Amino acid sequence: MIWESFKLSLLVVTFATAIVGVLGLAFAFLLAKRDFWGKELLDACLTMPLVLPPTVTGYYLIVLLGRRGLIGEFLYETIGWTFVFTWQGAVIAAVVVALPLMIKAARASIESVNPDYETASYTLGKSELETFFRITLPLARRGIIAGLVLSFARALGEFGATLMIAGNIPGRTQTMPLAIYEAVASGDDRRAQILALILTAISILAVYLTNKISRSNVYG
Amino acid sequence: MLEINVKKRLSNGSGVGRTNDFTLDIEFAAAPDGITILSGASGSGKTTTLRLVAGILAPDEGAVSVASTVYFDSRRRINLPIQQRRVGFVFQDYALFPHLTAAENIAYGIKNADKKTRLARAREMLSLFRIEPLGARLPREMSGGEQQRVALARALASDPKVLLLDEPLSAVDLELRAKLLDEIAAAQQRAKIPFLYVTHNEAEAERLGTRHIALRAGRIV
Repeated sequence: MIWESFKLSLLVVTFATAIVGVLGLAFAFLLAKRDFWGKELLDACLTMPLVLPPTVTGYYLIVLLGRRGLIGEFLYETIGWTFVFTWQGAVIAAVVVALPLMIKAARASIESVNPDYETASYTLGKSELETFFRITLPLARRGIIAGLVLSFARALGEFGATLMIAGNIPGRTQTMPLAIYEAVASGDDRRAQILALILTAISILAVYLTNKISRSNVYG
Repeated sequence: MLEINVKKRLSNGSGVGRTNDFTLDIEFAAAPDGITILSGASGSGKTTTLRLVAGILAPDEGAVSVASTVYFDSRRRINLPIQQRRVGFVFQDYALFPHLTAAENIAYGIKNADKKTRLARAREMLSLFRIEPLGARLPREMSGGEQQRVALARALASDPKVLLLDEPLSAVDLELRAKLLDEIAAAQQRAKIPFLYVTHNEAEAERLGTRHIALRAGRIV
């Protein structure tokens, strides 16, 4: 049981962190470098899962992706598959709740790069995209890595939204936080203890790494 | 030849009740056979002028052209992107990319060549400015004068049509300044493109300039 939920958590979190990394960077670039109508509204919407009760986030996910949901219905009718009660659903839940942490950290560190470096790159003939990848990204990388580590930790601990959309099916969607809940509910203290210790150790490591990365001063 | 004839409304205001708005209204030409000095107190529009030439800012109206290329023309609705203007820019704080070595900084802007050729050309530039030992060093491992030379080499390595220098010696101590001024003059002789040099230092202006333009509150005096 412990091993199964550990493996499942690892699977979900690996996919979730990868997706958060790509989406988070894209949104952070958009929010830091572009001006468009409704920009701060978009930022607010993406930040919502940070302050909403996870069950509410999960409820919206069902409204969106459930079998009769706005996207879910189309998906179910065309390929006969749904996110509900699957580990992919757990990935979506983890992505949605972890994404704001990544966007906040990446946007702040992208905005803190001295704009003269970017201007210098433009005068040397480089496009905005090439400048982003060769200058801005390497210079902002500490904040970006810190954001990734935090997102990883948040995705690992995700409970409420996961329960709503993926359920709590042992071996299929029961990640570690859900397994703890069940262990406690069924009076299996030993199992709850081990799972709690594993999650605590990983979380401490994540926070330690984040602090270490954001404090190291690479370029003086 | 760099030709500029532009108007640009500027707000220099800082804080309530201290608005210092004025219109930059300038017309001059900078020849490719020497260094044109643009001097004036801070807030007189010097740096803005450089930014208008580079395309970092757009004028409200007027025209900017270098050699036979029109960079900006409000009447013909031309506004060439920065990347296509081929301007070299030496920033006040150099703006060397902190994560790249001197050689990589110089190679960064060299066009139409593979990586090996670019690095070889960067090494040529390093020896031209007599800073070969700096090739593998990061900017934070260099002195102000060394960074200044690398910044100059980087700007010229991209084969620009005009070189813009924004108070390039303000962070360098006095002894070194005279030496670097000579090097900038020598670089101009080799490159044979217009150098537009912004300073508020009269001594620098006299030593370097073949042509001297003084700005006060956005106008040539």
